[in-house]
Amino acid sequence: MSSHDQVFDIGYRPMPERGRRQPPAVAIARTMLLLAWRQRATKIVLLICLAVLGGHGVWLVGQLLFERFGSGVGPSGLPVTELVGSTREVLANFLRVQFFTTAIAIAVIAGGAVAEDRAAGAFDLYFARPLTRADYVIGKLGGAAIVPIVTILLPVVLLWLTALGIAPAALRSELWWLGVPSLAGGVLSVAVLATTIIGASAIGQKARTVSVAYIAAVIVLSGIVEGMTGAGYAFAGYLSPERSLHTVVDWLLAPQQSMLGSQVSGRYTPINHSALASLTALLAWAGAGFGLFWWRLRSEVVG
Amino acid sequence: MLLAFSDVQKRFGATHALRDVTGQIDGRAVGLLGPNGAGKTTLMKICLGLLAPDGGQVRVLGIDAAQDPTAVRLELGYAAEGPGRIPGLSGLESVAYAAELCGLRRRSALLRAHEMLDLVGLDESRHRPVETYSTGMHQRVKVAMALVHDPRLVLLDEPTSGLDPDSRDELLDLIVQLRDGDGPAIVLSTHLLHDVERTCDSVMIMQAGTVKYAGTLDALQTRLPGEYHLRVAHPRSTLAAALRERGAAVADRGRPDLLHVRLPEGADADLIWSAALASGETILQLEQKAASLEEAFMAAVAEGA
Repeated sequence: MSSHDQVFDIGYRPMPERGRRQPPAVAIARTMLLLAWRQRATKIVLLICLAVLGGHGVWLVGQLLFERFGSGVGPSGLPVTELVGSTREVLANFLRVQFFTTAIAIAVIAGGAVAEDRAAGAFDLYFARPLTRADYVIGKLGGAAIVPIVTILLPVVLLWLTALGIAPAALRSELWWLGVPSLAGGVLSVAVLATTIIGASAIGQKARTVSVAYIAAVIVLSGIVEGMTGAGYAFAGYLSPERSLHTVVDWLLAPQQSMLGSQVSGRYTPINHSALASLTALLAWAGAGFGLFWWRLRSEVVG
Repeated sequence: MLLAFSDVQKRFGATHALRDVTGQIDGRAVGLLGPNGAGKTTLMKICLGLLAPDGGQVRVLGIDAAQDPTAVRLELGYAAEGPGRIPGLSGLESVAYAAELCGLRRRSALLRAHEMLDLVGLDESRHRPVETYSTGMHQRVKVAMALVHDPRLVLLDEPTSGLDPDSRDELLDLIVQLRDGDGPAIVLSTHLLHDVERTCDSVMIMQAGTVKYAGTLDALQTRLPGEYHLRVAHPRSTLAAALRERGAAVADRGRPDLLHVRLPEGADADLIWSAALASGETILQLEQKAASLEEAFMAAVAEGA
């Protein structure tokens, strides 16, 4: 008997019990991230994101500590409104810069999420199993969303909590209201980045092509939009997700204009139509990304 | 009943992939036999709900595949013909992932994956990325992925294609082992008669999108009428002439007392007895010749029975 026969002699063993089915979306998201983590490029782009966070953290902490222990706050130091303003600036700048770096990171990590499955003929592998299209969508979008959650959403909350923790007592009640707008900016970034990269991946065939095209599109779009708005075409500003996010975040974080902040704090201010248009544009980008993904699934997988 | 089809139709543009496919198949191991382009893979994908039929009904293990595809897929394992792999994952991770997609917990999935890879005979190479595998190793992983969630029925689409003779033997041995043990029932889609003959007890023959035969292999092989081997008492008997007069084809079998007789269509052994009576010959031995699967297959395809 060969060693091979001995292995075969173990035989097939039916499973003792099946138990309750676990949601497959978790496995899909985890596997997608696991495969991305094995690439060196993923680690590099995540390090860049970490550096951006670190830089903003140092900026925020240094500023607050200097004002707290240096010149002091109140009658003998900087006015409270100025300190709130500088904290707001750090948060807004972080959201804007990190949106760019995360766009690169998510392109590297999730560019092949759907494209690779299509190229490898893995749709049959997925949908020959008790898996619905919704499971696949949740898994892939969830996996992609983890990236901006880790690089934008959680860090912005961390920065805000850090500011709250080390700010002088007189400042805390003012800084408190920056939390909701920061969170909203982070959530918007997550929604736009996750849906657009998955949408791009759904129409691509190769991970690398999708990643390069996505990064190029973000950069080129920003450049073109910048040029067009400079030439007097103001509407073009809404075409760039980064610029739209910038507008919305500035609006949300501005103490006198913050819709969320002011409504929560009871200080109502008039609606900023440009910010609303930017918000609509961002939701349209997210909708387009999701739409492409769903269209691809509907056209290739029986429901 | 493993699979039951009723007037199943499927078109891809101008191509009629399946035409009124009707039949039932049952058994521990069923061969889905037919040349390339016969519609075997299309039929399997319809069973899994991966393709929607243009008409007709498919029942898998008694479940309507169109009504409840998720319930069907819980009971089915499928090893596709194509690459169907996720580059970057190891063999072990691929099988565990397949188990998790079927709803197993992470830990149970890993344990079960090891068990299935032991079963299919993939050793330490299970930790290597699947894109470094040979065709044989890859086929083993696909079979393990199909079995990992303990389905009641496994569909294997051309599992031996591209394998060297040794790997093919081992895979066919595994199918036989599953058939004879506690494993799931198997539907083996192939165009290789030998694979079906070696592993299956039933067969469904397809050609050009239609079912030519569905039933046991034994019944298929005895469907060819009227081939007999005779041993007669007198070497120079007139029996051969009498048989030829009645429309039978008679050939020597190397010895003057042995004859090979093929009866005309519609005739049975009575024709031999009547010829023997007329020629006064004594028949010492009469044996119906079993057709080879190849002959039976060719006859079934030609008849369209």
